[in-house]
Amino acid sequence: MKNLKFLLALWRANLQAAMEFRSAFLTQIVFMVINNGAYFMFWYLYFDKFKEVRGWTLHDMMLLYGIAATAWGMAAYFFGHFTTLGEVIAQGRLDYYLSLPKPVLLHVLASKSIGSGMGDILYGVASYLLSGYLTGDGFLRYLLSVLAGVCIFISFLTIIQSLSFWLGNTVALSQIALSAMLTFSLYPSVLFDTTTKFILLTIIPAALVGTVPAEFVRSFSWQSLLQVTAASAIFLVLAVTVFHSGLRRYESGSAIQVEV
Amino acid sequence: MIAIEVNQLQKTFQTKRKAAGLAASWRALFRPEYSTVEAVRGLSFHMEAGELLGFIGPNGAGKSTTIKMLTGILHPSAGEAKVLGLTPWRERQKLAFHIGTVFGQRPQLWYHLPAIDTFTLFGRIYELDDRETKKRIDFLAEAFEICDLLETPVRKLSLGQRMRCEVAASLLHRPKLILLDEPSIGLDVVAKQHIRDAIRRMNQEEGVGVLLTSHDAGDLEALCRRVIIVNHGQIVYEDKVSNLKRKHLTTKLVEVRYAEEVPQGFHLEGVDILKVGRYGVKLRFDTEHTPVDAVMAYLSSVGALVDITISDPPLEEVIAKIYKEAAPKDVGIL
Amino acid sequence: MKKYLAVINMQFINNIAYPGDFLGRSVSIAVFLFIFAGLWKTTFLVTGTDTLNGLTFANLLWYLMMAETIELGRPRINRVISEQVKNGEVAYILSKPYNFILYHFSFGLGDSLLRIIMNIIVGVLITWLLAGPPPSPLGWVMALTAMIGAWLLHFCMMALIGLAAFLVEETNSFELVYQKMVFVLGGMMLPLDLFPEWLQRITRMLPFPYMMYAPARLFVKPDLSLFGQMLAGQWIWVAVLVFAVALAYRGSEKVLTVNGG
Repeated sequence: MKNLKFLLALWRANLQAAMEFRSAFLTQIVFMVINNGAYFMFWYLYFDKFKEVRGWTLHDMMLLYGIAATAWGMAAYFFGHFTTLGEVIAQGRLDYYLSLPKPVLLHVLASKSIGSGMGDILYGVASYLLSGYLTGDGFLRYLLSVLAGVCIFISFLTIIQSLSFWLGNTVALSQIALSAMLTFSLYPSVLFDTTTKFILLTIIPAALVGTVPAEFVRSFSWQSLLQVTAASAIFLVLAVTVFHSGLRRYESGSAIQVEV
Repeated sequence: MIAIEVNQLQKTFQTKRKAAGLAASWRALFRPEYSTVEAVRGLSFHMEAGELLGFIGPNGAGKSTTIKMLTGILHPSAGEAKVLGLTPWRERQKLAFHIGTVFGQRPQLWYHLPAIDTFTLFGRIYELDDRETKKRIDFLAEAFEICDLLETPVRKLSLGQRMRCEVAASLLHRPKLILLDEPSIGLDVVAKQHIRDAIRRMNQEEGVGVLLTSHDAGDLEALCRRVIIVNHGQIVYEDKVSNLKRKHLTTKLVEVRYAEEVPQGFHLEGVDILKVGRYGVKLRFDTEHTPVDAVMAYLSSVGALVDITISDPPLEEVIAKIYKEAAPKDVGIL
Repeated sequence: MKKYLAVINMQFINNIAYPGDFLGRSVSIAVFLFIFAGLWKTTFLVTGTDTLNGLTFANLLWYLMMAETIELGRPRINRVISEQVKNGEVAYILSKPYNFILYHFSFGLGDSLLRIIMNIIVGVLITWLLAGPPPSPLGWVMALTAMIGAWLLHFCMMALIGLAAFLVEETNSFELVYQKMVFVLGGMMLPLDLFPEWLQRITRMLPFPYMMYAPARLFVKPDLSLFGQMLAGQWIWVAVLVFAVALAYRGSEKVLTVNGG
């Protein structure tokens, strides 16, 4: 579709902009890989000592990281504004996107690229490949999990940051939501009690990006498939609805900016 | 053919009143007080297709608000408008394919990329054919004299060069109408000239309508045939630019130089002598009170004229006068 | 002297003025403590024991709390220094080493002090909820003493990273990796006691344990001989890193005079 061509053009422009500062871009990628690897060392040491926890081994953790890191990386690299949407709204920069004939949310999200995200993607894929879960259909489940993860990461952050339409600046809230989401997604839900597990499936859907898809890749089950796809769809619809509802408010002028 | 039709357009904003002091801020949290700002009050005008229309007014006059409503970014409180036959706030995306915008303070070109990359991106945004885009870029590059600048990252361009690229970008998709908001702000004289020439050329060659808002009277004089002056959210003046000066300020400034020394007792009724030199005289008079031919007859009778300069008062003066004259009916701003 | 006190003051107040920042950090502390409470609880259930290498569940959590406090209280002078390098300001102050170091020291102190205090308050509240009462006063004394050395080590590292701006454009990546090194090799997430033998030997030769493990471990299990060991190690590394900073400083001056700022 035309919008796909449009996205490709945006991604191309972002890549060109990154290439203007080639060495910084490469540094970001390399260091992000090192960063993730160093962080993962913890699990290496942990499982060296404890071997297995509630059915989870080192390989399962590598799978988990493979999914979550790749999903995060793709969201950051291809839709970089998903972490700064609130600022765009609060600073009135939406006008630019509104004056152009493309869907506003899509345009905003894809207009920025977080270079280090590519590092997360590379690390995540490597982590998955080394996890031992590389099989024909396992790989397909992996792809589906990553796509779902991208969807949920972006949708969740979009919902939170769309609150800017009503609350003005939401930088603190967005950062908290972001780090909570990311941190929790890197830990298997088996560590927590039922209430927490429930929260991680709904209000802070980190489990839907980490644990649930990881179990889905380990072994196919209709339940996991349903959870993953339904969750992505629901969050996506919610995100678009909330954003457009806020956008209507912005267009009626009752949002923060008044420039006569 | 009418490009823009505006009928009784209104926009009222509710802004939360900022409270001073801790107690007031606390109260404001639970029972916020709103003040009403009537940014645009019953605006009506029209613009012909392919016209060069100036839209000026002091800060806070409602210009930006009106432009936002015309591009569909803002919904009016009341009234109607049709731009190229479409209602902007209802068919924003559809309209966006046929209009271009340049906001002096909000650049469209990607800062770190060469202009041509943004052009290519715009080609995709406006769903243009690749070959078509390329041809169009070549054409615009020539028209705006930016051929050598296209490959340079925008951040390395001077403001004048950047604005030329911005305006060129707004014309990529052959819009029928472009809205320019302060396009010459911050530019030097030469750069301004450049931009004005290019805009005029596009208007003539492609029939692009231009709605221009500016604080610079020079833009007006150079580009616009007709001008609408707004203040306090209403239209206070609407006419051809040429009439603007002719009808509003009737003062003329005359400077003459003679072959021989100016004789003593140089004097004329109804004329302000500003300066008398050895060979020249500077004077000012109001054509409403003193007939032009009488002045001219006197001046040529005094001696052999070597040089004469007759100038109109600057447009700024005219406009400033109009701003002052327009008395706001009800000031709704608290 | 007054000027530097003013700088400390200013940073102190700066941190008060940004409650959002404070909220973010508190949530971060809460999240980590919560997650690790879950992790250790589950681990203990699986292994069926009460202690791991002599550390109880409560020990582990209070350990983490102290480690988090230090991590989030790191003096962020690297950002200031690299900013100064990027915008050329550094040309004016680098020539006066006393001023440069003292300025950033004051900045770092003011920056860290309030944050450390607030982190401790929040950390104590949350950890108490999750794991019961805090360690004995002796633990506090030893920990806070060791924190001084730890803070100095962080300060030196941050200074080195900041000065790296003379060589590289993006120093934030260095900070990120450094942070992770401290996380893992400094024993933030996993106390050194739980490391395999070979790794314990290696890390003890690096400065990282002294930046984090030392105060945290002394906090939960105050032990005089360990105290002596840790402090000695700390101050040896402080000497080494201070020397490194002096070298980097000298190098920077050279770069500055060659490039003209």
